[in-house]
Amino acid sequence: MSNMVEIKNLHANIGDKHILKGLDLALESGKVHVIMGPNGAGKSTLSKAIVGHYDITVKDGEILYKGENIIDEEPEIRALKGIFLSFQNPVEVPGVSNAYFLRTAVNAKRVFEGKEELNAAEFLREAKALATELGMKPELIARSLNEGFSGGEKKRNETLQMLMLEPDFIILDEIDSGLDIDALRAVSEGINKIKDGKRTFLIITHYSRILDYVKPDYVHVLKDGQIVKTAGPELVAELEEKGYTTLEES
Amino acid sequence: MKSIVLAESLQEVQNVDFSAATTALERLEKLQLPTKKTEEYRYFDIEKYLSKAYTYIKPEKQPIEEGSFVEIVNGIVVRAPKDLEIVYAKERKIDDAHFDALYYLGHLLSPEVIEICCKNDTKIKILHRYTQANALIAYRVVVTTAPNIAVSISESFIGCDANESLVLYGCDVHLQRDARFEFIKDETLVTGIYTPIHSHFIELQEQSSANFFSFDFGNADGLQLIKAKLMHASSFNANHLLYAKGEGKRGTVSQIVHAAKDARSSQKAKNILGEKARGIFDALIKIEPEGGGTKAYQNSQAVLLNDGAYMASKPQLEIYIDDVEASHGSTIGELDEQQLFYLRSRGIVLEEARKMLILAFANEIIDAIEDERTKESVHLSFENVYYGQGQLECIATCHNCSDAILREES
Repeated sequence: MSNMVEIKNLHANIGDKHILKGLDLALESGKVHVIMGPNGAGKSTLSKAIVGHYDITVKDGEILYKGENIIDEEPEIRALKGIFLSFQNPVEVPGVSNAYFLRTAVNAKRVFEGKEELNAAEFLREAKALATELGMKPELIARSLNEGFSGGEKKRNETLQMLMLEPDFIILDEIDSGLDIDALRAVSEGINKIKDGKRTFLIITHYSRILDYVKPDYVHVLKDGQIVKTAGPELVAELEEKGYTTLEES
Repeated sequence: MKSIVLAESLQEVQNVDFSAATTALERLEKLQLPTKKTEEYRYFDIEKYLSKAYTYIKPEKQPIEEGSFVEIVNGIVVRAPKDLEIVYAKERKIDDAHFDALYYLGHLLSPEVIEICCKNDTKIKILHRYTQANALIAYRVVVTTAPNIAVSISESFIGCDANESLVLYGCDVHLQRDARFEFIKDETLVTGIYTPIHSHFIELQEQSSANFFSFDFGNADGLQLIKAKLMHASSFNANHLLYAKGEGKRGTVSQIVHAAKDARSSQKAKNILGEKARGIFDALIKIEPEGGGTKAYQNSQAVLLNDGAYMASKPQLEIYIDDVEASHGSTIGELDEQQLFYLRSRGIVLEEARKMLILAFANEIIDAIEDERTKESVHLSFENVYYGQGQLECIATCHNCSDAILREES
C-alpha cells in the first residue's frame, strides 16, 4: 500500500481569506477517495491548490505527488505529470476548436512521456469513438471548446478529456452537479472505464448519487479547511442521515 | 514621372477636368491636407508621409489581359475576367460630405477611375500590386451595381518592391435598391514596403445591404477611412480584425451615417496589439434627424500582448432623433485568465495557450466569412504573421473538416 498523494499541513488563501487551515490528507494509489463537506469548507480550494490555480496562494505546507513536492510547479507541468482536474464549471473558449485543443493537449502529454504524437486522423478516430461511448454528439468535437454546450455536455467533455489524456491522479470537482440520470450514468461509466487499480481518484461531491455508480474506497470529510474525519464508504450513509454538524474530529 | 511632395500636391490637381472635380477641390480646400492635429489622423503619423518627396506616377492605361481575377498594378488594370464589365471613366459620382481630405485628393489625383459595373450576381477577386519604390500611387475603383443583385469583392495586396511608397487608394461603392454587397480586404504590411491609406465611400440605397470585412495584419503603418451612407431600410455590417506588431500604427477611422428611416448598422472591431504597435479604432455612428427607427451597434475589443502596445479606441454615437436603438462599447485588456488556466491545466504550456487564445479571438471575425476558400486564405494570412509561417493544420481553424480528414484516411 502506497500513497500517490500526500498533503501535509496545507494552508492556502484566496485573496486575504484563509481557506485551508493545515489540511492533511493521504490518497492511496489506485483507490477512489471521496471528499464531502458543507458549503464553504474548502473543497474546491483544495482541488485548485493541487492543480496550481492562480486564485490560490499556498502559504504553508506540502503537496507531495508521487513523492515530489509540486507546490512550485506550473499548472501545465502538473498536468503533464499526470494530474487532471475535471472542473465544476468548465470555461467556454470561443474560437478554439474542441478537437484542436484536445489534440494539442494529448500530444503535449505524449511528447512529455517520450511517445510519438497522434496525427489528425488517429486522434479524431479515437476521440469520436470515446465521445460516442459517452453519448456525446460527435459534432461537439468540431465545435468551439465548451461554447454553447449544455451543463451535461460540458461534463461529458471533461470526461472525454480525462479518457484521452489518461492521467494518473484524477480530481473530479462536482462532476455530478447538473447532470440528469442518463448523463450521470454515462459520465460514471467513463470514470469506471479508466479505473484500473493504479489510477487514484479524488471525487468532490455534495451528493451520494454518483457514489451509486462509482464505488469509493475512502470518504473524507472536509470542514473549515481541515479533514475532520476519514472512514470507509459507510460514512456516506451516515452523512446523508445526520449531516455534517454532528461530526467530531476523527 | 516627376518628384512631388504630397503636402504641396494641390498644384498638381488644379487642371483636372471631371465634373465633380470642383466639389472635390472645394472640399479639399476646406478640409485641408491632414496634419497631426486633424482628428481623423490624430493617432497616425500622417505628416511623416505627406512631407516626403515621391516619384509621382501618372497612370497610363494598357491593354487588359484575360484572367480569372482582376489584377491592378500601380493603379492600372492589367488583367481581368472576360465577362466583367470594367472601364476607365473620367466622370464619377463622389461623396460631397466625406470627412477625409485624402478621399478628395485621391479622386483629384485619379484623372480616370476604374469602374466595375455589376449587372448580375458577381464574385470578383482583385489583386493590387505595387512595384515602384518611393512612389506616390493614387487610384480609385468605382463599383456600381444593378438593383437586387449580389456582388462580392475580395481583395489582396502585394507590394514587396514598393519600398517607401505611399498608396492613396479607395473604393466608391454605389449599391442600388435591394443589392447585396460583400467586401473583404486582406492586407499584410511589412516594415519598409508601401504605406496604404484607403479611403472608401459606400452608399447604400433602399433595402440594400453590405458586409465589409477588413483584415489588417503586420508590423507597418496603414490606415483605412470608411464612410458608409445608409438610406431607407438598408443595412451595413463592418467587421475589422487588426493584428499589429513592431512599431506599426494601423487601424480604422469610420463614419456610418444613418440618413433615412429603418436602417441597420453593426460594427465590430477586434484588435490584437503586440510589441510597440498602436491600434486605431476611431469610429462614429451618426444618426441624422431623418433616421428614425434605425438600429446601430458598435463594439471594439482589444487585446494588448505586452506593456508597450497601445490601443486608441474611440467609439462614438451622434444621434439627432429619439426613435433609435443604439449602443457602443469598447474594451481593452489582456487575455482571459480563466481560459488560459483551463488550457494550461490540460498540459498546454503558457506560450502555446496564449497563441491558441489569440487565434480564437481572431477566428470570430474570420469565421464570419461565408466563402470557405476566402476564409481559409485569411486564416493563412493571419497565421503567416502570427506564427511567422502558415504552420497550422486546418484542424486548428476549420470547424468542419474533421469528417473530411477521416473520410480521406479511410
